[in-house]
Amino acid sequence: MNHQITHDPAFSMLRVDLQPGEVFVSEAGAMAAMSSHVELEAKLTVQQNPGIGTTLGALFAAVIRKYLGGESFFVTHYSTPYPASVWVAPTVSGSIVHRRLEGGQTITLSAGAYVASAGNIECIVKYGGLRGILAKEGAFFLKCIGNGGDLWFNSFGGVDFIDVDGTYVVDNGHIVGWEGDLEFDIKTAGGGFMGFFASGEGLVCEFKGRGRLYIQSRNLGSMTGWLLPLMP
Amino acid sequence: MQCELLYQPVSTMAQIRLNAGEQFLVEPGAMIGMSANMDMRTGLASSNQGGGGLLGKLATAAGRMLTGESFFQNTYTAQNGPGELLLAHTLPGDMAMLEVGQQGLKLQSTAFVASTTGVNIQAEFGGAKTFFASEGLFLISATAQRAGEHLLVGAFGGIQEFQCDGSLVIDTGHLVAWDANLSFNVTKAAGGWISSYLSGEGLVCKFNGQGRIWMQTRNPQEYGTLIGSLLPPRTN
Repeated sequence: MNHQITHDPAFSMLRVDLQPGEVFVSEAGAMAAMSSHVELEAKLTVQQNPGIGTTLGALFAAVIRKYLGGESFFVTHYSTPYPASVWVAPTVSGSIVHRRLEGGQTITLSAGAYVASAGNIECIVKYGGLRGILAKEGAFFLKCIGNGGDLWFNSFGGVDFIDVDGTYVVDNGHIVGWEGDLEFDIKTAGGGFMGFFASGEGLVCEFKGRGRLYIQSRNLGSMTGWLLPLMP
Repeated sequence: MQCELLYQPVSTMAQIRLNAGEQFLVEPGAMIGMSANMDMRTGLASSNQGGGGLLGKLATAAGRMLTGESFFQNTYTAQNGPGELLLAHTLPGDMAMLEVGQQGLKLQSTAFVASTTGVNIQAEFGGAKTFFASEGLFLISATAQRAGEHLLVGAFGGIQEFQCDGSLVIDTGHLVAWDANLSFNVTKAAGGWISSYLSGEGLVCKFNGQGRIWMQTRNPQEYGTLIGSLLPPRTN
């Protein structure tokens, strides 16, 4: 599937060229433009033919996600009888990153980072629990496993990647996703009592292991937090 | 009139240079700087159109209000020599100077920033279905009597120009402007209403014919809804 990311880094938009028989999947509401013969279908899962268990699991996760995370219930599936193009744009300003996943490679994305996927990509909603909430990434993560598929995700602001080997610390709210066997814990940024309350850093996420870590240069929570006292 | 777009695409500002005596029509609030010899007059938004009398002008201005644009419009004139105007719109994003041309242009109502004096701006009923879209019931129809008349538009995000060759579908929230000779109808995105609603797309604009379409890479309504959901409810 041919694709192109334009208007990077502030207002990235993704174009994919779709052939008959191919299926392209995007988050709900992301379609900006498309050839007129493209067919849209709203589905609960990224997988095309999920088993009943997967569907029920997705429905359950979707309902919880809707009420806890405010994220959309559905994804949109695109297909076409003739060669066509679809343009997809995320809601917030920032970049789109493309990653090809082969042989079971996995990326875990923060809530809201998923833009689109194609080919053999399986997406599972993972409950992140208290860690996820403290990390300000929402209570859920999306685990994407690829066996020959394309994944696109977005950031608020620019996106940077760090190849972690050992440990690395990221401010909460700035995680886009991570690969490999990385795991994270919540801790304070350091500096004891003063550090926790006065450094402005509060809690951070400490990643351990080996793998690539994607972070974003802006944080929606911080921005709305800044707007809040300015409201009448 | 010469126009240079600076700080593209995020914080775009248009630097307009006018010859002595030349005029430029600007949406209220869009001027962020000007040379001291620029004279500003505020008039009804229809004041650039000859004839029609006061009632006709009032009607046209009222029509423009329906599009969400201003009832009034500012006319800037360069006096005693060349002058400069700096223009910007509210949201972060790109701007473009479009030639109105023989066929005229249609604009999504909030995209209009400024124009040369020979451009006729009118509100146009966009059809009942646009009522459900975030862009409102009316669009702007821009026409010009002669070549060389221009229109400055402002977008949320980057601007992508498409050449419509046959047909193309654009999400209503991503539309900026299109050649008036294109026919369009607002329709549902998917085959069925339920799927259209669930897919989050709702209504889209389906264009037919040959012509250019300019779209913005971000959707203001969608962005506002997201940010709004993260803020506390208004108390008054």
